Amino acid sequence: MQHCSPEQLALAALREPLPAADAAHLADCAACRGEVAALQRAVDALAVPALAAPAPSVTPPPRVWDAIAAATGVSATPAPAPTSEPEPAPAPVVELRPRRTRWLAAAAAAAVVGGLAGAAVLTRDDAGAVVAATTLDPLDADESSGTAEVRERDGVRSLQVDLDAPSLGEGYYEVWLLRPDVSGLVPLGVVHQGANSVPLPDGLDLGDYPVVDVSVEPLDGDPAHSGVSVARGSLS
Amino acid sequence: MTALEDRIDLYGQDVETGRTSLRRVVEPDDDEIARRFRDGDEQALALAYERWGGQLHGMAVRAFGPGPDAEDVTQQTFISAWTGRNGYSAGSGPLPAWLVGICRHKIADVWAKRDRQRRQSEAVAADVASRPGSSDDVDTRVADRVLLLGELDRIGQPQRGIIELAFFEDLTHAQIAARTGIPLGTVKSHIRRTLERLRTRLEVDGAALQP
Ligand SMILES: [Zn+2]
Repeated sequence: MQHCSPEQLALAALREPLPAADAAHLADCAACRGEVAALQRAVDALAVPALAAPAPSVTPPPRVWDAIAAATGVSATPAPAPTSEPEPAPAPVVELRPRRTRWLAAAAAAAVVGGLAGAAVLTRDDAGAVVAATTLDPLDADESSGTAEVRERDGVRSLQVDLDAPSLGEGYYEVWLLRPDVSGLVPLGVVHQGANSVPLPDGLDLGDYPVVDVSVEPLDGDPAHSGVSVARGSLS
Repeated sequence: MTALEDRIDLYGQDVETGRTSLRRVVEPDDDEIARRFRDGDEQALALAYERWGGQLHGMAVRAFGPGPDAEDVTQQTFISAWTGRNGYSAGSGPLPAWLVGICRHKIADVWAKRDRQRRQSEAVAADVASRPGSSDDVDTRVADRVLLLGELDRIGQPQRGIIELAFFEDLTHAQIAARTGIPLGTVKSHIRRTLERLRTRLEVDGAALQP
């Protein structure tokens, strides 16, 4: 077989699992293994827990600010550190190995929940036939939930999203369809509390993108997913 | 809402959740602190320290334990950030993320300093000439870190953000694509090119660090 692609070798250097054929080739090919080792020198130097972010918060002793003020000549003073502990719980230390699979786990959990909810009775009314449905279940401690239904009318599909979620001071909710392994995502549009209807792209295979995801997006002009999902379900 | 809190803390997005916070109402938001910091407003240095000093000191303590080295890292991070504030621009990303990048440099500097001290003390204790190439060896990984963090600073976006998510948040390429919305194939080719660039940097300049 031919050598692994440069992209696969780079992923191997990051210790991501490769497709079986590539993994088998890599095990037998000294040239490819040498390439991975050369790329891995940088990974091993930088991908260490001590450089990961975020770390649990630790209040520095007052002399740290005193030294900063002395070195910079700045006379402003920070508010004294709180004596009690009103800070949010410190973020956990990021374990660098094994790789985290939080997103994958969340999508898989959503798929299980959605499967159970998938017994939804298919109905037909003015808005068209319900061809797939799911409940949207809150992620983590979020209070957001709802339902999503794919409806088809005259050959045109739409996603009806009924969202029960807190109002946002800034930012907005957006609904997406994801692959179960989160290897791809399709933005569908802005949604609000209550009933929403967003059109589905023609030709989109819901078998490939069965996971309905609702995210909170900041008003920063960035069309990418913020990474902050509040509710999910898997269509069936 | 863990992810959202991370986001507020680390990236300074002022995303309200309906759970209003008095603190955020009465204090300037992260963007305003960043702008005033860049403009040289001394109060903004104090506000940045209030808001992110604990997180940065937490990184330093995680690396070295509580004590003088960790305190030095936190001090030097804020001092360098303040004296180098002209190097901070909107393209540098949110101020707290920029501070975290400086903090990584300071941590790597302390590792390098400790490595120098180790070699000096070993040189005093041993007859180095009789054991060439042993006790005066630079710890390659320590030296690599200093070099590579410098190279990361020269990599533009989105390549830098992508490799940082892989290195420092341990996301897979699929997770990075989902997080950023950048197509999977693009993420993969950016990762490849960046790792090749870092390897070239090590091969060209890494050896030169050897004494
Ligand atoms: Zn090969």
